[in-house]
Amino acid sequence: MSYYLYLITSVGGRAGFGIAADYKERNKQYASHSGDIVKFSCIYQGQRSHAKALERTIKTQFADNIWTIDDWKTEWLVSDVKMTILKKYVDQLIQERHYKLSVLATEYDFTQGLIDTVESHGVVL
Amino acid sequence: MAFSFTYGQVIRKPNPMVTINPLARGSNKTVGLQDRVDTLGKSAAWKKTIKDWVNQGMTFDMSRFPKVAMRKLGDLDIDEDIQRALDEKHCANKIANPTVFDPALLSVCYCILNSSGKFISIDTQHTVSTVAALIEAGLVPGHTDWREFEFPFHYIETDNLAFARKAFGIRNGKGQKRQSQYMQLRTSVYVVRIDKDLNDPEDVELEEKVATAEKHECFPIDENSTLSKHPGTFTNISTFKSLNVDEIEMACSWHNRYFHYENVHVSLFFIFREVCRQFKSAKLKITPKLQEELAALVQNLFGNLSQFQESVTAAHRQWTEKRYGYQANWDDDAYACALIQLYQHFGGKEKVAPSLTDQFDGLIEFFDEDIMSLAA
Repeated sequence: MSYYLYLITSVGGRAGFGIAADYKERNKQYASHSGDIVKFSCIYQGQRSHAKALERTIKTQFADNIWTIDDWKTEWLVSDVKMTILKKYVDQLIQERHYKLSVLATEYDFTQGLIDTVESHGVVL
Repeated sequence: MAFSFTYGQVIRKPNPMVTINPLARGSNKTVGLQDRVDTLGKSAAWKKTIKDWVNQGMTFDMSRFPKVAMRKLGDLDIDEDIQRALDEKHCANKIANPTVFDPALLSVCYCILNSSGKFISIDTQHTVSTVAALIEAGLVPGHTDWREFEFPFHYIETDNLAFARKAFGIRNGKGQKRQSQYMQLRTSVYVVRIDKDLNDPEDVELEEKVATAEKHECFPIDENSTLSKHPGTFTNISTFKSLNVDEIEMACSWHNRYFHYENVHVSLFFIFREVCRQFKSAKLKITPKLQEELAALVQNLFGNLSQFQESVTAAHRQWTEKRYGYQANWDDDAYACALIQLYQHFGGKEKVAPSLTDQFDGLIEFFDEDIMSLAA
């Protein structure tokens, strides 16, 4: 069963990230909480352990860019780190560390339903 | 069946910890108290506390400020309802132990002064008892009567025994910021590296362990340290210390060769401690081929040891439920056993210690199907 790591852009433009077994449902939850359609700028599909390993890497090694409120570390980035930087960082990690993940979709929201086809990202699933 | 996985090389990047590792050398830096005041001034938690003081109209009560004075030990009483019974062995083997005793390390006596003019000890009874008994034994030159011996007393004037009782609790744990495992390790390392003091074999051994880890770009750091964003760092000091130097050499060299881009996960130490010990008993070598194939397995199936740990603990839960009918406690040996059993399952041919395949027999059947079906 595939697992997903998503990069999200908030309604206010902040970049964030997360993992989910059901990306459509997760996107719907974001819409429900924010009162607007929210875009997953990129969804990566692949092995669950690798999606989780990658998410953990972002949290630890990208720590300087994580938006922290008091001592609460969120899954959002500080406002001056844009989605393009996060996407580049994640793509680089996947390529360099051989994580078995590839791009499933970009600019996704739940109104598009489930994505059938996997776009090749040069990485074998 | 050929082994299913190949290790994919990961480009090595310079690790900043090599140059900023705090244990490599002392900072040689002292700062004024203003530095700490400024740090607090920027802290959200501190600002909130100050706001609470203001809202409650609270100010520093100078009448409650403690005093410090040299007073005679004969002026001191010990309230047995406040302090614990005297632990004679603590006095004999810890405080007065001739290999470690140093008057410069004695604590001041914490007490209250009641309106009858009596000092009541609220802490440090073991220290003052030891000093008095040393005088009684004739071992303090120039002093024959401990009652007349002047000792530093730290006291507040009160008749409130409830305060004394609570103060004892605070001084002995509740409310104290305990020294972390890392800070204790740092003391040992600095004693050897900065003070060049090799008198304590424990300090020397710990420094050697740290040096072995550092050689392979693995670095102990304090919990919640901002350095945790750097590869090679780890916080589980007590597990690290439980390995001998050879085991640390094996564990850290493996990490640095194959997972130099990751933080050190604590399971690394559990795995190599167990693998080294079992292979040694079986008179087997942990060959370079085995090391690389284990790295290939971890990289391909789990991404890193952190995810391996998550999978193996879940499998262990299910395994104990099936075998015993209940969820047994986690056993750290399961890391090494699961890894070696997975290695054989996926076609690994290097010789392994049989004890690692017998223990937790069948454990790998409880790994997720997603993982077990991933053979290339």
